[in-house]
Amino acid sequence: MLATLIRTLLLGAGAALALGALPVRAADPGVTDTEIVIGLHAPLSGPLAAFGIDPLNAAKMWYEEVNKKGGIHGRKIRLIVEDDKCNPNEAVLVVKRLATVHNVFMINGGSCTPAVIATQEFISREKIPFAMLNAAGDNGVFPPIRYMFGAFGGTQRADGAVLVEFAFNALKARRMAFIVHDDEYGNAKWATSKAVAERLGAEAVAVERISPRVTDVTTPMLNIRAARPDVIISAAYPQPAVLIAQKYGEFKMTAIPMVQAVQGIPVPDIFQKNVGNDAVFSNFYYGSPLNDMFNGPRQQKWVQMYKQYYPDRTPGAWMAFGLPPAMAVTRALEKAGRNLTREAFVEAMETLDFESEVFAGKIQFAKGRRDGMRSAIVIRFDGKKHTVMPGAYAWNGRDGM
Amino acid sequence: MYGSPSYARLAPLLALVVIGIVLPPLVPQYFLSLGNTLMMYAILAVGLDLLLGWAGQFAFAHIAFYGVGVYGTVLLQSKLGIPFIPGVLIAAALAGLIAFLIAVAAIRLHSVYLALATFAFAESAQWVFNSWEGLTGGADGLRIAPPSVLGWTTGTDARAFPVIAIILALVIGATMYLTRSRLGRSLCAVRDSEHAAAVSGIDVFRTRIWAFVISGTYAGVAGGTFALFQSFVNPEAFGFSQIVLVLSMVVVGGLGTLPGPLIGAVLLGLLPEIMRTAMRGLFVWQELVYGLILILSMMFMPRGIWGLIAARGGRSK
Amino acid sequence: MLISLLQAIASGVVTGCAYALVALSLVMIYKSTDVINFGGGEMVMIGGYLAMFALLAIGLPYAGAFVFAAVVAFMVGAAFDRVVLDRMLGRALPGQSVLVAMVIATVGLSYVLKGLVRVVPYTEEVRRLAPLFAGDPVFLGPIILQRQDIAIVVIAVLLMRAWWAFFNFTLLGKALRATSQNPRAAALIGIPVRAMRMTIWGIAAIFAAMAGILLGPKLLMTPDMGSVVILAFAAAIVGGFHNLPGCILGGVVLGVVQNLVGLYISSRAIVLTPFVVIMLVLVLRPQGLFGGAVVTKKV
Repeated sequence: MLATLIRTLLLGAGAALALGALPVRAADPGVTDTEIVIGLHAPLSGPLAAFGIDPLNAAKMWYEEVNKKGGIHGRKIRLIVEDDKCNPNEAVLVVKRLATVHNVFMINGGSCTPAVIATQEFISREKIPFAMLNAAGDNGVFPPIRYMFGAFGGTQRADGAVLVEFAFNALKARRMAFIVHDDEYGNAKWATSKAVAERLGAEAVAVERISPRVTDVTTPMLNIRAARPDVIISAAYPQPAVLIAQKYGEFKMTAIPMVQAVQGIPVPDIFQKNVGNDAVFSNFYYGSPLNDMFNGPRQQKWVQMYKQYYPDRTPGAWMAFGLPPAMAVTRALEKAGRNLTREAFVEAMETLDFESEVFAGKIQFAKGRRDGMRSAIVIRFDGKKHTVMPGAYAWNGRDGM
Repeated sequence: MYGSPSYARLAPLLALVVIGIVLPPLVPQYFLSLGNTLMMYAILAVGLDLLLGWAGQFAFAHIAFYGVGVYGTVLLQSKLGIPFIPGVLIAAALAGLIAFLIAVAAIRLHSVYLALATFAFAESAQWVFNSWEGLTGGADGLRIAPPSVLGWTTGTDARAFPVIAIILALVIGATMYLTRSRLGRSLCAVRDSEHAAAVSGIDVFRTRIWAFVISGTYAGVAGGTFALFQSFVNPEAFGFSQIVLVLSMVVVGGLGTLPGPLIGAVLLGLLPEIMRTAMRGLFVWQELVYGLILILSMMFMPRGIWGLIAARGGRSK
Repeated sequence: MLISLLQAIASGVVTGCAYALVALSLVMIYKSTDVINFGGGEMVMIGGYLAMFALLAIGLPYAGAFVFAAVVAFMVGAAFDRVVLDRMLGRALPGQSVLVAMVIATVGLSYVLKGLVRVVPYTEEVRRLAPLFAGDPVFLGPIILQRQDIAIVVIAVLLMRAWWAFFNFTLLGKALRATSQNPRAAALIGIPVRAMRMTIWGIAAIFAAMAGILLGPKLLMTPDMGSVVILAFAAAIVGGFHNLPGCILGGVVLGVVQNLVGLYISSRAIVLTPFVVIMLVLVLRPQGLFGGAVVTKKV
């Protein structure tokens, strides 16, 4: 009985062998006289699909735009798309498949940090250039490794630093309360939040670490109320963020300003409806790495372009996050010249310094710097109007490291 | 049927080892990585089947023991400098020990109660992996340095592949031996009727505890193989969906048989890859299709694929 | 400090009743068919979404949305039993393997329901179902409660009463009970056991859907909200899996303990509480805190 099984397995292995052994390696894979093959991956199914579908579409759209204009040095870009479900183990398989079966030149992918980190060792060993999609990528860029570029929309560290800086400078807060998840996203946010607060001399009077799966935030909010802070900084995902805002309203804490990280309030109008209590928005702010509200005037260019490419889909809040990574890739391909190699491409990526017209700050890389952007804006939302707060906020790249 | 397995039955294991050694230079890394993953799942599934299919204990904690195996092997290596082979043995023994404690604590529980108690344990273990940051790196995860097996460093899929093939062959061999042994017969007796087993002189509690310990040890070994070909681990790898995945492998393949969990591990392990390839452009439907496959296979093959094959062939298991 | 404690307990009671609503459906199915329904959480989830579609897309009033969700849920539950489980029961399977196979089938159901919901509009963003009982919160001394929360408590208790009356005083209820206690004897005295089982699945699905409609405004809607089923399992275990009124007490105990943990130990440990509670109760008192002796079924 077992013999039959092993025989079947052997046959399968033989078939796999025939499939896999075909391509002959040229100087650098994925580049021919007429095309460059790029692998794209993101969560396209499962719970986090909303976080990957639009950014991936946006990146595709940018590559197609470049192809329409004649490609790069006479080569067209060909894309191979994979679904990683944001699962580290699947992401590893996807990346290996792109690199060793499809023989892509480089990979532009990943919407979640753990999925990206899991591939890092392989990327490094095989020397495959990798640009993250919309993953914040904290532990993928710190410490930096040569082949992996990311954090185009800023790391969580950068974002956390900005919120605290804003609370200190603009809101004059000295006693800060934090409500932060206990996952890697929360860890990264908290690392810089804490460091910046310490540097500025503000006190963290309450730090509530909560699970993303929490169903009742009564006690964390009671703990915060008891600590009498003069600002509440919330870095929670959409569902807990709404629960937090509801309790904040219910417990009449609205005299204390509340600052919410963008991840919890992707679409402010829906957030407001979900909270269902306009008193919450008397003193309410949210951060964003974009240069405007996600559907604000400065983002319209991209929203309109997206609607032309994908008329059936209304872009979500994360759509534009997929553009700057693709812009960086095409710029670096341009810079690397006709004589394209992976090493030349990595060196070109390293010298990038450009305005994406998507994010709050410039995209910059350097030798030893792999996080692309460090700025964010803060928007005041009063329940009707969004007002971008004056002042530019950026992480200094040192706090919390 | 009982007694030590004949040499003819061991031949496939030799074949597995030969494939493990010959294949790596010939195929792209993706296939090797997939092969490593499938072999790891095979060890997990065979181990779970000993408890679920052979001993009839409806327990959900398998993935927690697997987690102990992964973290144990990796941490023994990185913190104490213990090489892979003693490391994985200690980690597997630790997993077995924890399984022993669970078995003793849950000795009075059956069916749904046992399932829920062990499920709660698995979820608690995941919480511990996530919260014990000083040890496991918490949600940020832990990077895994390539282990060295008797001087053979396994950092790449190609170098890990033969090692994992050998481990799988050993595990299958041990299972063949075990299921033919006196203990194997006791397990089946306890599964079929605890009363009848007790009457015929089998120590039911002891047999149940052994089933837990052995199954937990297998999961610990599977965890060790994870460290051979992966470079990063975070607590997400030990969640509910993984519990369900391994359980489905055993049930879809065929409970209480050796080929069953092997077939289940290969098929369900390949399923995401197949769906990704076949459902290009329809990625969002994967969840639905996966659910349908589970339901349909339970409707039409409640004894699993191997159960169906065995029934068709008129062979006993 | 005292005010915080009182508020934490009050919120815990409310959340606990929410868990109990979900647990009701689980216990009903378990009592009558011996199946642990891992798709129970997803039945809650589709209940909420069905009501939301009815309100937003079809434009039905709340009562209509309620009926719509209940009817569809009944059909889903009943069809799952008739098409899937019934077929599996027909095969003679050894020992517990039929139980395991059925659990896998319910897991399959959970993926199917999630997968279906995921591809329709409204589900990419977190949404809140419009609350049935809107309005300013109510003050009980220093304690603040939402009207919807009070409704959840009242409805949970009423449902329990109604359920109890139905099973004790109506013919159909008695037949259902007979079926769940001893299917063979029930068949012998002429009760259509298969139809009864199907009806139980349908009613349990309605209970789950109603829980979804009540919880949608409180816990918010996502295709993954079915994970609340874990808390319902914990509530059911604390109450004793066979004991329906125990469910509510179990839910309340769980909700309150969770909040006490959040208040006095750590916010981080809130999500660990149900698992520890399940383990402690099962190991120390397997019949549940409010159950009698453990019932071993003889089929």
